[in-house]
Amino acid sequence: MSPETAPRREVVTGEPRRVRPLPRYRTQAEIEEQTALGGAYVRSLMRSQLRAGLTVFAVLALVAGTLPLLFAALNSAALVWAVLGFATYPPLTLAAWWYVRRAERNERDFARLVEGRPTP
Amino acid sequence: MSTPDHTASWVAVALVVLATVLVGGFGLRISRTTSDFYVASRTVRPRLNAAAISGEYLSAASFLGVAGLVLLHGPDMLWYPVGYTAGYLVLLVFVAAPLRRSGAYTLPDFAEGRLESLHVRRLVSILVVGAGWLYLVPQLQGAGLTLKILTGAPGWLGDVLVATVVMVAVAAGGMRSITFVQVFQYWLKLTALLVPALFLVLAWQGDGRPRVSFDDQFAVFRADHPLYATYGLIVATFLGTMGLPHVVVRFYTSPNGRDARRTTVAVLALVGLFYLLPPIYGALGRLYAPELRHGGDADAAVLLLPARVIGGLGGDLLGALIAGGAFAAFLSTASGLTMAVAGVITQDVLPSRGVRHFRLATVLAIAVPLAGSLLVSRVPVADAVGMAFAVSASSFCPLLVLGIWWRRLTPPGAIAGLLLGGGSALLAVAITVSGAVTPPGWPHALLAWPAVWSVPVGFLAMILVSLATPGRIPPGTNAAMTRFHLPEALTSARGAGRER
Amino acid sequence: MTGAGVAVLVVLVALLLGTGFLLGRRTARPVRPSDVGTPVEHATFETLHTASLAAPPLRAGLTEESARRSARRLRSLLGTDALCLTDRERVLVWDGAGHHHGKDVMGHIEELLEGGRGTAFDSGCADLDCPLRWAVAVPLTVENRVLGALVAYAPRESAVLARAAGEVARWVCVQLELAELDRSRTQLIEAEIKALRAQISPHFIFNSLAAIASFVRTDPEQARELLLEFADFTRYSFRRHGEFTTLADELHSIDQYLALVRARFGKRLSVTLQVAPEVLPVALPFLCLQPLVENAVKHGLEGASTPPREQPADTSFRITISALDAGSEAEVVIEDNGSGMDPDRLRRILRGEATTSTGIGLLNVDERLRQVYGDGYGLVIETGIGAGMKITLRLPKYRAGVHGS
Repeated sequence: MSPETAPRREVVTGEPRRVRPLPRYRTQAEIEEQTALGGAYVRSLMRSQLRAGLTVFAVLALVAGTLPLLFAALNSAALVWAVLGFATYPPLTLAAWWYVRRAERNERDFARLVEGRPTP
Repeated sequence: MSTPDHTASWVAVALVVLATVLVGGFGLRISRTTSDFYVASRTVRPRLNAAAISGEYLSAASFLGVAGLVLLHGPDMLWYPVGYTAGYLVLLVFVAAPLRRSGAYTLPDFAEGRLESLHVRRLVSILVVGAGWLYLVPQLQGAGLTLKILTGAPGWLGDVLVATVVMVAVAAGGMRSITFVQVFQYWLKLTALLVPALFLVLAWQGDGRPRVSFDDQFAVFRADHPLYATYGLIVATFLGTMGLPHVVVRFYTSPNGRDARRTTVAVLALVGLFYLLPPIYGALGRLYAPELRHGGDADAAVLLLPARVIGGLGGDLLGALIAGGAFAAFLSTASGLTMAVAGVITQDVLPSRGVRHFRLATVLAIAVPLAGSLLVSRVPVADAVGMAFAVSASSFCPLLVLGIWWRRLTPPGAIAGLLLGGGSALLAVAITVSGAVTPPGWPHALLAWPAVWSVPVGFLAMILVSLATPGRIPPGTNAAMTRFHLPEALTSARGAGRER
Repeated sequence: MTGAGVAVLVVLVALLLGTGFLLGRRTARPVRPSDVGTPVEHATFETLHTASLAAPPLRAGLTEESARRSARRLRSLLGTDALCLTDRERVLVWDGAGHHHGKDVMGHIEELLEGGRGTAFDSGCADLDCPLRWAVAVPLTVENRVLGALVAYAPRESAVLARAAGEVARWVCVQLELAELDRSRTQLIEAEIKALRAQISPHFIFNSLAAIASFVRTDPEQARELLLEFADFTRYSFRRHGEFTTLADELHSIDQYLALVRARFGKRLSVTLQVAPEVLPVALPFLCLQPLVENAVKHGLEGASTPPREQPADTSFRITISALDAGSEAEVVIEDNGSGMDPDRLRRILRGEATTSTGIGLLNVDERLRQVYGDGYGLVIETGIGAGMKITLRLPKYRAGVHGS
């Protein structure tokens, strides 16, 4: 804004309406959307995604659960240093990459499934 | 002990502080002023966002703490960085995409949106503030330590300095969690550790590659129940990452759930890349700064090594680089956390809103941990951070995982889980920090590494109480589940169909 | 009986009556009113409090959820052993003892639901000690439609309960009517959005098509591009689903709008944008920014007295749009250097007192922002005659129930 026009401005706001804001949880419309899409479809997507997630998590838990015991049994500091310091990061990233591919495939399959169904 | 010249370090620290504030204040104006809508509405790409998340995430605990712990207690301590990284894998498989799709900006937002209860929202807010404060204390203490090493200034000065810089910068709006600033911080931190590490390894080779011995201290773990402590650490870090307030906030920047997932993979890669370096410092520290093992300042190993191993001007310059990186770590994590905590305080604690309240909240958000850092005895940086993870793992992890995957979660269940899981972890941590229970014996081990028992307590309480109150399942549960899990491609295809 | 005896009797009776009267007044209304309330007042307060607690759930309408939440309070208002609320089909909630009676309630009130008149019935319980042997049922009506019934139970016939149930039911009806009002207010807002969409169209569509037509000969490629923008813009504005959108989508629609405006006014319009990528996913009420930009354009370009083509080319009109990150909120500023507006006139417009159609967009946006986010989130406008206009909006990054897409 050019400097000579700026001072002539006034601040204007609407007056408080003192209306109660709309209810914070307006689920009615959303529930309609939800049933239109079919709860069963969503549940099947959730199951497939959860299965993929649990697979990765189970492998991770198994490895992380047994490694300390293994280290305690072998009692070799150099091994611990090598494994924890360097060797764990690539597999972690690979597992993440696998999961993302799997999850996105699930979503694509789901989209095909939904788009192929008769319209509600 | 050679006294390195501190001028270079001072300059480096000043440069980092200045660059951070300047990039934060003017970066947006320079980079995003345009008349092209296409440029203006370009969302943050996953890789950029990932670098920003990593930049905010890699804290003093990572930069200084890990090497210090390895030096002090041997390679078993490498579970810390592994856990800090693996936490993102757990976040990815259970939380990333649904959390983004929920539209929540903070954890209290998520809790309110999912459970439709303001009580749960308030409780989550309190825990977020608690966990954030716990996490801030070691950041400030790390800064104090760094400044002490660099200048011999009294320990409290650095705490106050970083707290003040963060407070002023955040309150003035100069250091908002702007993506570009955080990206810059990540690469700065990586460079600051990588370049000196290369020189250090070369020097070590020139030395005739003396063997690093870990064996002498392998048995001397700081806990009398090392295996239990290791598991406590694993549980806390693997499950705690998803609840850290400054991490959650950054996921909002992803344009959709799919990008949130891809961002997380990139975060894993970037964080993993960074964590290849601290073990090297830890190992070399054992060789070249063995006396730190007996003093209290093992966290300083990273800062001291260049001067010890290389010396001369080269050593000073590399030391300065590390000092700059360390300050980048304090500033980015501390400002991110302060932002997140202050945001929660303005929204849920202070009565009305506005810019003035945000400033007041900022002061509150950093003053309390500052007081804590000055009053509480110095716990090793990584340990203190581990406690924040434990609180997060036993409260926010059950809330997020059950909230996203389990339809029968109810507000009373969530409250019970948060109180019993998070509350007990918080209490355990408080007792440990206060020094009421001292090391030998199970009581101390159980309280210092609470995650092993507090996480199951949190989950069980949430599940059992939810099952006992089936009438309180929020009416919007199905709608929320649909929103969390439905890919955006479907939701927007029903709408505009703007693609050509 | 002697005269003296009669006199004594008269005096005695008079005394008795007098004392009785005084005593009665004293107990009914204390001479010195108590500062902390009498038992009667306390009972009133308690009743009012219970009633006020039962009110909020009912404001959501008569559903299983709201019935469940209010039933206990309603029962304590009535002081009965059991109470049930029904809609037209089934029992929504049963509060108190004797659940098994619930199954035959609907049979008893069939007539009530048809005729809308209250009724009482014997529950027909075989157990003589059952506290639910008698019931009174009162219809819940809104605008002469019977939505359901309130049924209260007692061990034996009780006129007090019948009266009380009638009063409570009437109070519930008022709440339900308010709920209807809420719903119609929501519908009103939706209708307003639709009206707003319709309002953009005729004037703007005509101008845009005219501008596009002028390019058809001279620059067919440009005309084609503009037609596509036009199609996209109208598709977005007329979309049917969803009350909310994202900042990114809204900016996109502004872009298309401005492309069409530029086709008419050419280089005289310049736009500067400053958008923090962090706030692009923010969800906001649909068509909240576009009307503001349209308003700016109207005042800056079309409001000018000379026809656009004849104005000197150097009087450029500038719009600056910025969307910045402000912690848990986004701050959007739309500023122009156009002719501005008389602050008093703007105040009238925002009060809804303006007669002309200009500024309806401003009022509508202001109202919707306040509706969705609360009174603290209305538009803040800085303007003066000939001083341009600066409009500031604050948008919370998250608000329960506000979801983009």
